[in-house]
Amino acid sequence: MPRLDALSEVERKTITFFPCMEFDGTPWVPLDKPLSESKVALISTAGLHVRGDKPFISDFKGGDPSFRVIPSNSKPGDILQSHVSIGFDHTGFYKDINIAFPIDRLRELVERRVIGSVSENYYSFMGAIRDPRRVIDNTGPEVAQLLKDEGVDLAFLVPI
Amino acid sequence: MSVLGHVFEGAGISTVSVALVREHAEKVKPPRSLFVPFPYGHTLGKPNDAELQHSVIAAALDLLSRPSGPVLADFDGEGGPGLIQASAVQPSAASIQRTGNRTGNGTNPADELTSMRELYERWVADHDGRTMVGLSGIPQRRFRGTVRFLEEFAENGGADMKERPEDVSVPQYLRYCVDDIKAFYYEARMAQRSKATEEEIHTWFWGETAMAKLILDVAKRMNETDDSELKSFAYGLAR
Repeated sequence: MPRLDALSEVERKTITFFPCMEFDGTPWVPLDKPLSESKVALISTAGLHVRGDKPFISDFKGGDPSFRVIPSNSKPGDILQSHVSIGFDHTGFYKDINIAFPIDRLRELVERRVIGSVSENYYSFMGAIRDPRRVIDNTGPEVAQLLKDEGVDLAFLVPI
Repeated sequence: MSVLGHVFEGAGISTVSVALVREHAEKVKPPRSLFVPFPYGHTLGKPNDAELQHSVIAAALDLLSRPSGPVLADFDGEGGPGLIQASAVQPSAASIQRTGNRTGNGTNPADELTSMRELYERWVADHDGRTMVGLSGIPQRRFRGTVRFLEEFAENGGADMKERPEDVSVPQYLRYCVDDIKAFYYEARMAQRSKATEEEIHTWFWGETAMAKLILDVAKRMNETDDSELKSFAYGLAR
């Protein structure tokens, strides 16, 4: 987003009053190998699922904390979005899914040998979650374990 | 989003995140975060601009070279247009006259939808099958049934669809149906006018189509109840 002082009052208030957790400390895990040898997973909060899987639920109190598996070899045509938020313009995503889920871009980075490989599975959560505790306590760690099981070195987190 | 940076990095996986709201990233303090000046929905810059998308990704990955954190860096680029609340687009007097009463002599939503099918199918064919239509599980060639569902709901608030899965509420299913129809219209319009800006597409849809009028009628019907769940869905439909 543009800096808050460049937004209208309504937009600024929407963002300022959105509940946001504050953290004091930050964990730090340096990448222990060159990026060109690392396995990268794409993690989205755009509320995506693969056609045939279940959409996210809009009226889950505090926000739907579940996640969906998106195989990294999915074609853009296999991927759907059930993001609850009306606070963003979906048109850009209709035009090009890579604008928030850069599935083609990561493939290109493998071809260019910038990154070593991509994981077999990517994951999507819902965004705009007002109460992220279930994600922090349950579904987030679940996905972390799945990433570790697959030997992922780097998670690339992209919101919408 | 950046909360996940804490979760994953805490579990031993390096992370890089893109941040759309700098003020939130300052509070959450994910390990490595790149603030981008683009509006919501446009995280990596612009649609179909692979070069710009790659430069954002490269700037994010570059943060891995930092020796310590948390790191919050700024992407050096220009922001796009601000947040668009599409339904705020007011129909022009001319378009109201043109669309008229949807059950009268003007275009009705079902016929309007059918007239756009060819364009929609062209979009899908030209984009390797890529379409955001599909949430309701109803194939687009049967959307006239979906339109009847919306019309009935707008009429008396009591409609349902046999395709609705048991564990999905009626308002949630209405939202999926409306999202499908919006995606169908937007993609059809993009096939027809490939150069149209996002704002032009919104202005056309909300200002000129009989379908948008029907969707606003459905939202109005939801808003007339005392049910706060329905009211929140109404807000989502009339985006």
